[in-house]
Amino acid sequence: MRMKTLFAAGLLAFSAFTVQRAVAEDITLEFVVWNYSLDTIQDNVKKFEEANPGIKVKVTDYTWPDYQDSLVLRFRSGTTTDVIYGGQDWLPAWGAAGFIAPLDSVAPAGAVEDLAKDIAGFALTDVTYKDKVYGLPYYADTISFIYNKKILTDAGIPVPQTWEDVTAAAEKLKAGGMEHPIVYEYNQELPNFYDAFVAQAYGRGAELFDKDLNPLFADPNNEAYKQLQWIADAYSKGLVQSETHESKIIPAMNTGAHAFTIVYTYVLAALNNAADQPRAGEFALAPMPGSKHSTLGFAKSYVVTAQAAADPARGEAAWKFVNFMAGKPYTVAKRWAVEKGLGFGQLPLFQDKDVIDAWGKWADVKALGDQAAAAKAGTYTEYSSVWSAYFRPLLAKAMVGEASVEQTMKDGAERWNQLKEQFANR
Amino acid sequence: MWTIKRFPAYWLLPALLPVALMTIYPVAYALWVSLHSVTLLFPGEPFVWLDNYKRVVTSNYFRDALGNSLLFTALATPLVVIVGTLVALFLQRRFFGSQIVRSIVLLPWVLPGAISAVLWIWVFHPSFGVLNGLLRDLHLINGSIPWLTSPRLALISVVVAHVWTQIPFAVVLIMAALSGINSETLEAGAIDCRSPLKRFRHIVFPEIKAMIVVLVVYNALTAFTSYDLVYAMTGGGPGTATTLLSFQIWRESFSMYDFGTGSAVAFIVVAISAVLIAAITRALPSDLFASE
Repeated sequence: MRMKTLFAAGLLAFSAFTVQRAVAEDITLEFVVWNYSLDTIQDNVKKFEEANPGIKVKVTDYTWPDYQDSLVLRFRSGTTTDVIYGGQDWLPAWGAAGFIAPLDSVAPAGAVEDLAKDIAGFALTDVTYKDKVYGLPYYADTISFIYNKKILTDAGIPVPQTWEDVTAAAEKLKAGGMEHPIVYEYNQELPNFYDAFVAQAYGRGAELFDKDLNPLFADPNNEAYKQLQWIADAYSKGLVQSETHESKIIPAMNTGAHAFTIVYTYVLAALNNAADQPRAGEFALAPMPGSKHSTLGFAKSYVVTAQAAADPARGEAAWKFVNFMAGKPYTVAKRWAVEKGLGFGQLPLFQDKDVIDAWGKWADVKALGDQAAAAKAGTYTEYSSVWSAYFRPLLAKAMVGEASVEQTMKDGAERWNQLKEQFANR
Repeated sequence: MWTIKRFPAYWLLPALLPVALMTIYPVAYALWVSLHSVTLLFPGEPFVWLDNYKRVVTSNYFRDALGNSLLFTALATPLVVIVGTLVALFLQRRFFGSQIVRSIVLLPWVLPGAISAVLWIWVFHPSFGVLNGLLRDLHLINGSIPWLTSPRLALISVVVAHVWTQIPFAVVLIMAALSGINSETLEAGAIDCRSPLKRFRHIVFPEIKAMIVVLVVYNALTAFTSYDLVYAMTGGGPGTATTLLSFQIWRESFSMYDFGTGSAVAFIVVAISAVLIAAITRALPSDLFASE
């Protein structure tokens, strides 16, 4: 009898030990990303796993153009998804749909507020929905006006300060034999397309919406209206060559057949990468043309799904992972900045010597800092990504002269108002 | 006994059930969704009758996208069939290295659409594309031709890329049909008629015309529902020059989060496809499938 009791107790203790061990080891977080620099992502994950025994992270990647719809399918089908890359334009809609969770629902008390103090204003705006922080910056960047220094110097053209200067410079270059001095990222299916337009309008000092979210851009005196007219004119004069993606802008600019482009700032690092670009070192950023020289700042972020937050153990693991990737001492954010030239939302990194040294190789760090300081966040609501998907094809048509600027802006404003009303009455 | 003759339906069940689950259920569900307001942003899924369909056909993109899709289909379908038949006739001959050439011709078939798109971008790209480089080297042009950035040329460029991806399948089917022709008939034809064109018209074509009809119908459907290659090459632009109707299924569902309208577009595509098939088969000679 005593032996039996001892045996049973031993068995119980062993079971408890193995169960506990299994529970601790069983957490495998599903981390969904777009496939930019997967090797670096996997290496960061490996470092996290080493630092956090008991938590594994499985990375699933999609291409950038397929990312949003793949995520929506995962959410709708209930596919296990714990931590994702979030975009500023989708965040409010996904928050409203209940797909993602505020970080304070998984983080220890005060942790998110503490980290938020270090995040740049526009980046914090982009990760906040209904006064709750939903993400920590994976990277934060601005959209830049980039030019080829050598081409402008050789042609005796000063760096353009306004969009009218850009036209004059492009016309001069065209007269000198350059077919299309401006390369423009033109893909109505990508949010970049709308973001680049907003950045240009911000350069002119445009306000696209008032404080009550009423659209202002249909007014011909609005600077966004003027900027669309400027793009349409540039296309009609044959100054612009379209490219469907920034990955094609890099080799196109490096042919020396183009002088100007408007892209995410990190593209400048790729343009000036001496390892694989023949004209590396020729490219620089200038303040966004226009009277205000402002531009669009944005943040992509690490976001925890509502599905993960609903399970305390997974939620805790997800927070640990997000904090490792974007929290203090900002090791991962710094790595992206130093190795890949990605911008960051964590302000202390602007003082980091390694970051300053690394960025100095491909950009004027002071100019970058000035641009980040002048950057403004976009206007993002629950319905803005839906509206943007509607508006982008209209913009595309107006740019190439298939529709009038007036009608495009009018239709865009009408659709915004419809969605706003629909959402208010939902 | 449970013999096939006594209970044929039961014996079909193992095959029919997966088909029902994998095909009928999703289609029925999509039909249900197309008649309801199913959006991510708004709660509830109220029945809206045909509102989603009305919204699609009155939208500002529908006319452009439908026109592009029909033009794309009208250009791509005959090209695939004609070029595929010519290539098959050529490859049927025995010549040195013919086996290797046959394998190479099939390559585009195994490439995913997105990869084919990347290849064709490198061909057509205005700044660094192979085609413009070649034309410049041959002193045929001075500047560059905007293959992908001019609205008119962009549609032609994506049609060329699409045709390239579809030719191998056409070649395989036509070669299969050609191999079924009695060799004695061909030999007799070669003795009686010296003109290859006449031999093709009077001997070969009657033997392969049923396969050609299959190819026409198949390629019309493939072209009308084409998506990945065109999307990856042009993103639907410039403007809406290469925006196809199948884009709209994706855009409505995943960009606008409106699955009801997305499903309605899908059913409109299916309906137009059915009309296309009916029109093609009615336009063809009635004796096509008759045994000779």
